[in-house]
Amino acid sequence: MSTVIATRGLAKQYGRVHAVDGIDLDVRAGDVYGFLGANGSGKTTTVRMLLGLVLPTRGEIDLLGERMPRAGRRVLPRMGALIESPAAYGHLSGRENLALLDAAGPGGARRDRRRRVAEVLDQVGLGGVGRRPVKAYSLGMRQRLGLAGALLRRPELLVLDEPTNGLDPQGISEIRELLLDLHRGGTTVFLSSHLLAEVEQLCTRVGVLDRGRLVLQDDLATLTAPTGATVVRTPTPEQVRAVLDGRVAAVDGERVVVRGGDPAEVNALLVRAGIPVTGLAADRPTLEEVVLAAATTSADRVERTP
Amino acid sequence: MIAVELRKLFRRPRTWAIIAVLNALPVLVAVLLVLTDLAPRPGEGPPFLSAVLTNGALYPLAALAIVLPLFLPIAVAVVAGDSVAGEAQAGTLRYLLARPAGRTRLLVAKLVAVLAFVLVTVVVVAAVGYLVGTTLFEAVPGAGTSVSGTSLTAEELAVRTVLAVGYVGVSMLGVAAFALFFSTLTDSPLGATMGALAVLVTSSLLFTLDAASPIAPYLPTRYWLAFVDLFRDPILWRDITRGLALQAVYVGVLLAAAWANFTTKDITS
Amino acid sequence: MASGPRAAAPRWAVVGVVVAVLAALPALVGALPVADPSVPAAELRAAVLASADVQYSGYAESAGGLALPVTDQLDSVADLFSDRTEMRVWWRGPDDHRVDVITTAGETGIHRDARGTWTWEYERATATRAATTPLALPAPPDLLPATLGRRLLSEAADAELTRIGARRIAGRDALGLRTTPAEPASAVRQVDVWVDRASGLPLQVVVLDETSEVPALDTRFLDLELGVPDAATTSFVPPPDARLRTADQAEIVLEAGRRLAPVRLPATLAGLPRRTLEGAPPGIGLYGRGVTLLAVAPVPRRLADGLRRTLGQSPDAVTDDAGTRIAAGPVGLMLLDPPDAGPYVLTGTVTLDALVEAAAQLPALGGSP
Repeated sequence: MSTVIATRGLAKQYGRVHAVDGIDLDVRAGDVYGFLGANGSGKTTTVRMLLGLVLPTRGEIDLLGERMPRAGRRVLPRMGALIESPAAYGHLSGRENLALLDAAGPGGARRDRRRRVAEVLDQVGLGGVGRRPVKAYSLGMRQRLGLAGALLRRPELLVLDEPTNGLDPQGISEIRELLLDLHRGGTTVFLSSHLLAEVEQLCTRVGVLDRGRLVLQDDLATLTAPTGATVVRTPTPEQVRAVLDGRVAAVDGERVVVRGGDPAEVNALLVRAGIPVTGLAADRPTLEEVVLAAATTSADRVERTP
Repeated sequence: MIAVELRKLFRRPRTWAIIAVLNALPVLVAVLLVLTDLAPRPGEGPPFLSAVLTNGALYPLAALAIVLPLFLPIAVAVVAGDSVAGEAQAGTLRYLLARPAGRTRLLVAKLVAVLAFVLVTVVVVAAVGYLVGTTLFEAVPGAGTSVSGTSLTAEELAVRTVLAVGYVGVSMLGVAAFALFFSTLTDSPLGATMGALAVLVTSSLLFTLDAASPIAPYLPTRYWLAFVDLFRDPILWRDITRGLALQAVYVGVLLAAAWANFTTKDITS
Repeated sequence: MASGPRAAAPRWAVVGVVVAVLAALPALVGALPVADPSVPAAELRAAVLASADVQYSGYAESAGGLALPVTDQLDSVADLFSDRTEMRVWWRGPDDHRVDVITTAGETGIHRDARGTWTWEYERATATRAATTPLALPAPPDLLPATLGRRLLSEAADAELTRIGARRIAGRDALGLRTTPAEPASAVRQVDVWVDRASGLPLQVVVLDETSEVPALDTRFLDLELGVPDAATTSFVPPPDARLRTADQAEIVLEAGRRLAPVRLPATLAGLPRRTLEGAPPGIGLYGRGVTLLAVAPVPRRLADGLRRTLGQSPDAVTDDAGTRIAAGPVGLMLLDPPDAGPYVLTGTVTLDALVEAAAQLPALGGSP
């Protein structure tokens, strides 16, 4: 699998503040990469460095096999991006906005522009919006328009910063389907978000940023692999402890964690002892647990230094 | 890229609103002149205004002279100050640059768009001035008197008017360059506009001050009124060439500074 | 084509170099060395005096520091010596030239032909015809460095002249010639005339008075081109919608002079010999030589009263038993108004002390005329 985004020791310093502090991203072709981090952890700065908007203080960026920002003129047309909030010229229609954006850079042929614009508008569900100026759009519509702008040139790599911001639940699910669809078509997606659930549902790989450092980067499947324990739900946890003496790792209300990775074996033991079992599953850590274990406190907190 | 910027600029209702407001003042002045028949004393008020009562064909020049000291620079500063900072404030700058519209390209396209705005504005003011002048005043077709007291043929008058319109346009380029430079410094279009206007006010003020006479030849507004020299006979090129050279230097230096700043700055808007 | 951010320092360095080069350019051009051949002062003066027929066109600027206390009728003359005057000139000869005084939004053009001058005032759309008179009020053409330099050097003695190096004026090499008046009465400390090496035309004239380091008058060419100007440029045909007038200003002076009672004035005043001037009314006495001149005239009572009021408003005026006097740069003016005799006005480029001395030598006028 080829590498789509690779950074080595990427760092950005604003004065004495280390916004991004030496991260080594590794995103491979075909990934849906979830880039997680609390607000202020450096996600946006990283995304901007990837796109050549912010100049790194140190480190290197390779995008689609070429060095950024030097090769921006070749690389960026092969990408689509949604950076923080969407933005458009309010007095123009969505269609006109997309046409202008397409004409503003290389890699957007003029003759099929109209068709491509119509296609992406259909794709994001704005096909029928007509000539209405963007200033009359709702937040969700603007988000869709931004996404349409990112999809305009069938990019190999999508860099999306909080793409479901401002969308209602149906919208979120629609966009999720759209992204999965694109992914199936071969597009690599780099999704920066602070919504764990969103990332968990979409992504195949996860990187966690904490205070400018990449504290975790692995496949989602590996991170949430079974721990070798079984979770038992029962109204009588103390009986479980009596039967499986020494194998109970933790009791939390009706939830009992039992060492032993085979739920069938645990179930057989409990049923034999006549203990009611209301739920039974192999123990997997949630992404939230993984992230909380890796990250420290929220970056919004500003603690007094001793 | 340039076509994109032109489309953005001229499809924007605000652009035309500015041009309309700009034309309102000369039209108002013309109407007042017709109603009261009180021309300013010759040599007072804007150049050429005293002459329009006898020849309405001179009104394009009077109209330019009316808007030149204040309205025109404000309009140019507003549009040029908005060019980069406005995109930054609206958030569209990051999308343009990630598109990627090269930063140098974008800057050049912005300048060309501002240039086009200046040109269109000046030409519209002159054209509206001509219409107003020939309908409201008695136009003497085919002749005019130069400032030096010689007679000018209609052709000479037309050529010189075109040159004057061009010169006023070039004079505005300096303002545009200031505003464009400030526009790359800040994310606030208002700030960039105000910065450029502050420079102009300072320049105009220093120009009237004897103590500042050593630096007077370098003030950006120093040669603005030199378009009057086109209507002397023979044409007095001295201040006009100096004005053109001075504007070229300001535009060159400020664009270089804008380029140095804009191509190396972090886009965090 | 760069699309991403780069290191800022080299780019700003480029801008810095560009600005530095542009800023240094005028200084560099100004620092170009000027050749200073050892032309003797007398020879240089001769070249100046022979330059009246040199044909040229150019642009000159004169800056005067003289605030002359005068009446409204002579406003234009006062402006000439107190303001900055910008002039365009086309010179085909002493009686065929044109001088335009340029203002921001207008101009006044003076076209000289064989029989007189046309003065075109754009602001008033007026063309004024004036016949040549031997005596005329100072006009802008008199302030051209070429004309003024010739006039000021015309009566200078060789002993008063020194060479003062060379400088570049209007892009031409100019040799300096300094006149230091020998008369103790003179209020002019020195007159520096910078002369074009090639043509003998004075390119700059700087007049310094006894007290100030700021020139009382500094007139110079900013542009100069040798060659015959177009005859169509210097000639003048009043435009059809212009108002036509005939000049009367010189008349005012002459008329006033004719009405004066002729007085027998002494042959010398304050050490300055009397001289005659063609066309001057007999009532006016003119003394001195070169740049040191003194004019004396008995004046009508009414004029004297007006002048006294004007002088009274000026804080610089000195009034004592000898009379009321004031100095504006090198020009002194004195009103002698003894209680039992008619008033005199004395004026010229002499010191106030010389004015007092001269006043004491004047014969008393029998009552007011």
